[in-house]
Amino acid sequence: MSIQRTLQKCMEDWKQISNLDFCLLQEDNSVFVTTCQKRLPSLNKLADFRSDPALCIANSTYCLYKILDRDELLYILIVWGSSENASTIGELAVCQIRSLIEAYSEKNDKNAFMQKLLLGSYNEVEAFNKAKKLHVSSTCQRAVFLVETKQTEDEHALTMIRNIFSARTHDFITSVDDKGIIIVRELVSTETYANLEATAHMLVDMLGSEAMTQAWVSYSNVADSLKELANAYKEAKMALEIGKIFYSEKNVFGYRNLGIGRLIYQLPVEICEMFIEEIFNGESLDAIDGETLNIIRTFFENNLNLSETSRQLYVHRNTLVYRFEKIQKKFGLDLRTFEDAMTFKLAMLVSGYLRYTNN
Amino acid sequence: MASLSLQHINKTYPNGFEAVKDFNLEIEDKEFIIFVGPSGCGKSTTLRMVAGLEEITSGTLKIGDKVMNDVEPKDRDIAMVFQNYALYPHMTVYDNMAFGLKLRKVPKDEIDKAVREAARILDLDKLLDRKPKALSGGQRQRVAMGRAIVRNPKVFLMDEPLSNLDAKLRVQMRIEISKIHQRLGATIIYVTHDQTEAMTLGTRIVVMKDGVVQQVDTPQNLYQKPGNLFVAGFMGSPQMNFLDVQIKEKGSDLVAVLGKDELVIPAAKAKALKDGGYVGKTVVMGIRPEDVSDTPNGSMSSTVKVYELLGAEVFLYFDVNGTQITARVDPGTKAKTGDPVKFDFDMEKTHFFDKDSELVITN
Repeated sequence: MSIQRTLQKCMEDWKQISNLDFCLLQEDNSVFVTTCQKRLPSLNKLADFRSDPALCIANSTYCLYKILDRDELLYILIVWGSSENASTIGELAVCQIRSLIEAYSEKNDKNAFMQKLLLGSYNEVEAFNKAKKLHVSSTCQRAVFLVETKQTEDEHALTMIRNIFSARTHDFITSVDDKGIIIVRELVSTETYANLEATAHMLVDMLGSEAMTQAWVSYSNVADSLKELANAYKEAKMALEIGKIFYSEKNVFGYRNLGIGRLIYQLPVEICEMFIEEIFNGESLDAIDGETLNIIRTFFENNLNLSETSRQLYVHRNTLVYRFEKIQKKFGLDLRTFEDAMTFKLAMLVSGYLRYTNN
Repeated sequence: MASLSLQHINKTYPNGFEAVKDFNLEIEDKEFIIFVGPSGCGKSTTLRMVAGLEEITSGTLKIGDKVMNDVEPKDRDIAMVFQNYALYPHMTVYDNMAFGLKLRKVPKDEIDKAVREAARILDLDKLLDRKPKALSGGQRQRVAMGRAIVRNPKVFLMDEPLSNLDAKLRVQMRIEISKIHQRLGATIIYVTHDQTEAMTLGTRIVVMKDGVVQQVDTPQNLYQKPGNLFVAGFMGSPQMNFLDVQIKEKGSDLVAVLGKDELVIPAAKAKALKDGGYVGKTVVMGIRPEDVSDTPNGSMSSTVKVYELLGAEVFLYFDVNGTQITARVDPGTKAKTGDPVKFDFDMEKTHFFDKDSELVITN
């Protein structure tokens, strides 16, 4: 809720309790929040009050109060009424408004702090000092989740996620761009990677059923201190990217479960291109027709078992052998042997990576 | 409510993984269809394609008469209940159920009507003001279902909604879901890997393996007339016993040779085996544990390896010609672990499968 909406709600409540009307003016005398349409004091009177060292003045119709934040004038509060009651209520309102502004600015500071922290903008000492000032624990364990939805600017997704974690006041949730949402989750000592995985799956399922959008969720390793959060954010980002390239059939990617995809992702593109050139003799994976590729994939899924592959694909065993011999003639790889099968499998993964980088 | 039509649906991911292959199914209005199969068989992917949460690589999906391939999930008039759900902790049951509709900017009075109706169906009327922490596991699950019901969709999609519940609660909720189906008269597609859930809930079951539909039929037919070895093994707990037997002619009869035993095959099954040219060949004979009886006059004998008493029944495990089989027998049986046991197969209830193609020869 914005500070304006919060103040509006408070003032409506005060009006109900006291039967008095309130109005908050900004620096340019425009109305920030009000409970009525009453006529405002003249511009001259307001200017006089601003220049006056007094914090409060009153006349027969209203009381004016200055709302300061660190000696800086933020707003002018008008309380209509002349009784002693009105001035007491006005003073209480000033206290309340100052507290609300302070709390809100701290919350804003926390958001900015976390965002900068994730981007690695602080050194260790700065991070520690700032965290202490904002009452953010610098010693507890955290994990970074990155949520990507299919629909851009999905307000529903952000609202829903905020509501799911509403009871967890120490978690930090913000949107990063059109599609991404970051969740920095404070962990309790009993939480394991299995819990992180379960949370990620829960987010995918909730986004599907409530916000009705396809979603992908990645999560980092556990960060033991605030300083490690920047690295954790990078891990979550990398997990999402690698996951979508190599494990596109999944929706949840943990940084620690990226398998061989992580290795290939770290290779320079030139090395990958050389490898593909070497394996496919100047051609590419596209040189193999879709049906043969399907046979190869099924063969690999069945641990190089010809009979099982033939049964699953309703293709005669001899037909499979013929196809594999054709591949052997063309590329010199006998897919029925473990070593050549492994080389070919790697080539398939590297081809997928190159296709991604080229796009 | 609505009928669904899935025609030649395929799903291939960008990394080449083929999750669903040529899926064909016509679902009638108000049917309770179950997708069942082992982990990774493509059942959830198919459901997610119906929901619009996965793109369909090829094929046509229709809900009612409308092709839905490119329609956004929110515009498909469906509602989903998934395995991993969370309730909004600071909201009441009422608000939890209303939240999705509020997001979609449905008018307040419509939301109120929908929530109260869903609460009535789910017996949550008296809990509407409670927060999630004050609810039991079953009540929370019902709230999650309520979030789907308030949408008043044409089709309900449920992906293992009971998997996170303990065994007792799962049985209770299974009954609840069955009741909800009757009350709503809704078309439901329900994904599970639990064949008991599939058998008890579904009007029809789709058995899947490796992205391919193995068989679509009623629970009873799947159990009694499995189309292949996989379906026969997957449906039923304990699973069907499978034994390699040789088919031989003996006089006017056909017998299944199992080690030193020769089992006379009933005439109708014998004819199917003969017509299929299986005489002299080895086939797989399947028999369910309840069709194996321990009897003092049994024609076959073995030694009990394990005795399991489950209260109303006893499972005996023993070897037949080198293969372990299970017999589901009366708890009054005298047989115990290590005892010799005499037994018979009810040959009328046997199933025969081709050893190579694994397809059924005769049920």
